[in-house]
Amino acid sequence: MAAGVAAWLPFARAAAIGWMPVASAPMPTPPPDNRRKQDGLILLNVSGQKFQTWRNTLERYPDTLLGSTEREFFFHEETNEYFFDRDPDIFRHILNFYRTGKLHYPRQECISAYDEELAFFGIIPEIIGDCCYEEYKDRRRENQERIQDDEDSENQNDMVPPDMTFRETMWRAFENPHTSTMALVFYYVTGFFIAVSVMANVVETVPCGTLQNRVKQVSCGERYALAFFCLDTACVMIFTVEYLLRLMAAPSRWNFIKSVMSVIDVVAIMPYYIGLVMTDNEDVSGAFVTLRVFRVFRIFKFSRHSAGLRILGYTLKSCASELGFLLFSLTMAIIIFATVMFYAEKGSSASKFTSIPAAFWYTIVTMTTLGYGDMVPKTIVGKIVGSVCSLSGVLVIALPVPVIVSNFSRIYHQSQRADKRRAQKKTKLGRIAARKSGGTSAYLQYKSNGLLSDLIDEVTVDPSQALVCKANPMFDTHHNHLLHCLEKTTNHEFVDEQTFETSLLEVSMAKHPPHSPSLSSGSSSQGLSCCSRRNKRKSFNVPNSNMTGGHRNSIQELSTIHIRERPITNSRSSLNAKFEETVPLNCKQPYITAAVITLPTPPVTTPENDGSASSPDYSQANIVRVSAL
Amino acid sequence: MSSCRKRCKREMFKFAQYLYRLVTGTLHADSVEDELELSAVRHRPEGLEQLEALTRFNRKELQILYRGFKNECPSGVVNEDTFKDIYSQFFPQGDASTYAHFLFNAFDTDKDGSVSFEDFVMGLSILLRGSVQEKLNWAFNLYDINKDGYITKEEMLDIMKAIYDMMGKCTYPLLKDDTPRQHVEIFFQKMDKNKDGVVTIDEFIDCCQNDENIMRSMQLFDNVI
Repeated sequence: MAAGVAAWLPFARAAAIGWMPVASAPMPTPPPDNRRKQDGLILLNVSGQKFQTWRNTLERYPDTLLGSTEREFFFHEETNEYFFDRDPDIFRHILNFYRTGKLHYPRQECISAYDEELAFFGIIPEIIGDCCYEEYKDRRRENQERIQDDEDSENQNDMVPPDMTFRETMWRAFENPHTSTMALVFYYVTGFFIAVSVMANVVETVPCGTLQNRVKQVSCGERYALAFFCLDTACVMIFTVEYLLRLMAAPSRWNFIKSVMSVIDVVAIMPYYIGLVMTDNEDVSGAFVTLRVFRVFRIFKFSRHSAGLRILGYTLKSCASELGFLLFSLTMAIIIFATVMFYAEKGSSASKFTSIPAAFWYTIVTMTTLGYGDMVPKTIVGKIVGSVCSLSGVLVIALPVPVIVSNFSRIYHQSQRADKRRAQKKTKLGRIAARKSGGTSAYLQYKSNGLLSDLIDEVTVDPSQALVCKANPMFDTHHNHLLHCLEKTTNHEFVDEQTFETSLLEVSMAKHPPHSPSLSSGSSSQGLSCCSRRNKRKSFNVPNSNMTGGHRNSIQELSTIHIRERPITNSRSSLNAKFEETVPLNCKQPYITAAVITLPTPPVTTPENDGSASSPDYSQANIVRVSAL
Repeated sequence: MSSCRKRCKREMFKFAQYLYRLVTGTLHADSVEDELELSAVRHRPEGLEQLEALTRFNRKELQILYRGFKNECPSGVVNEDTFKDIYSQFFPQGDASTYAHFLFNAFDTDKDGSVSFEDFVMGLSILLRGSVQEKLNWAFNLYDINKDGYITKEEMLDIMKAIYDMMGKCTYPLLKDDTPRQHVEIFFQKMDKNKDGVVTIDEFIDCCQNDENIMRSMQLFDNVI
């Protein structure tokens, strides 16, 4: 029920007196009237812009924020008003909804900002009035597509999760050729062979001079039959192998077989095999010749390589109804004009219009303004009809074409925008990552500074460093303390991006031990595998607790220390590089090491343990690299 | 004969005009102007003081009433379709349009096809602040469709059917076709003292004043505003 109509309820109740004399049963008692409080004005202050309305207006919709007691949370005693720290421009529309019962969507607002405001004030968007609903839905769908696009491209560009099976890697290589060199090579090779195959098909029919004892020209295909056959065989081999590989790698084979590209692949290679089977049979050689025509479908395999072709195909698919309409109206017009033409030319002698279907050809040629001239009307009536036919042909064809064109343009621009956005996103992410790493480094900086002040009271803190500590705003201090608490809780540490990546690289290389010649230490492979195994388990291993393969403990310890050295120095140096304004912490190391060793538990260590490789009672802890903030 | 010729001439002229418009491409030029609605009707009510004098509402009540009225009908008058629309929203299950039609006629005291704010508020004044006599008078006026001073069985049947229409189909017990008729019979048995087939205003008021249920229910909505 519309809100405004609620104001007419007293009228409807009063009019019910008209039923009283004819009522067959006594009336129920009316509900107690607790609406005695006077209708007052409410002041709503939205980011400084003041709105006022009656209290009753707001209470028309008791399941929204403003209509329920939830608004009391926003009451500001000092100024005796309700303060909302939201966008006043959008709030205007929300308040109008209470007043008129209709929610409008302003075209110039961003759709997600509007959605957020609606969600905040507890209004469901489905009640947007008919005037604005279509626009709202369109914008929303567009936005969703954009987000979906971004997500898809993000998923594609993700870092390789280290434990993909061979099949998954292969599928990924097929779908995104730029992910690995092998895939790229494969992509170009198949493209090249498609081109070669198509060219061979074309050249095969070119006349190539005469043989010795023949008069007629022979085509190149017949002259160099063997060469062409070998070329064809090679191409089909490659296509078959490719198809089988794709089939094997597809995550869902049934879906793959159903897809368009797979059908094209099959159609491209089938004629060859069928031809192999059937060459000797005379009767079906005609069919065999037809089959050779299908070889031209190999050119459609290019659509994997060209985005433009795909867009064209997608456009045609999405314009199916317009194309159907075009076809239908053309057919109608052809039949009409052909009939009229036939009867108009029936009288003239030696007329080419022997039947209505024969006149179809004339009509088509005229309507599409081709005008071959092989069939020409001779009577006056025929000429009049012919001119009308050509004029209307232009119209009929010109009408649906802009629809198709605009569809194509929209889809094409969409894909261009998607590409542009992807490129922009890279730079955007880069900038964000720089800022984030700035934040991380701030935390790591705080850690080294803060830790000092935490653990070591007797160390004289450098005045410059002290200044740095105090210069942090309150928020940062609390935030850093919070991160520190988290570290202590999980017994893991935050490190920066580079360290993480290097360790990840080591992990992924460790999965293929024969391919890691870069590691110098002899026991490194063993240690790496331990490291990788530990990474896989993703758990914190207290060395004093039971470990699998415990007899290798000591060796592990040493090797892990050994290996951690390199990344640690990386991290230390990178950390040091950021501390331009503070005294480098290298001089603090002796203190730090000492402090660490005297710590009984937990065995978490700070990265400053360069010099402790030799200490056997060095509390062993595996630092599993956690990604940066 | 001459009228035929005149008509012929007029048709020829219209056809020539049509051809001219076809050629110059202004075939649809007129229709835009015709689409201007007759919504130029605006009505401003009497001043608050006058309304206060005419009705038994005080100033504040009149303000609240007018605000609600103007919100739903910005032009200041309610025509029958809007009235039906508004009233139907209170009875979503059934069809309230017939009863709304009778109500509209009851409110539209000056019979000009629209209910202005004065009509509206005067009707409400009777219903909510009037004496029992006045209310019964109003109800009689509602039932008396042709306003001839007598309620016949047919008029009552129409009213009864309209009321039962508002119930809709989904009722318990199931509505039968002759339920309104039976109800009218009961009503006439009660009200028609001299059994002449019509109910006059005096019979009506007498009978109602003697019925306790009716008397009590008349006071039911006194606190609505």
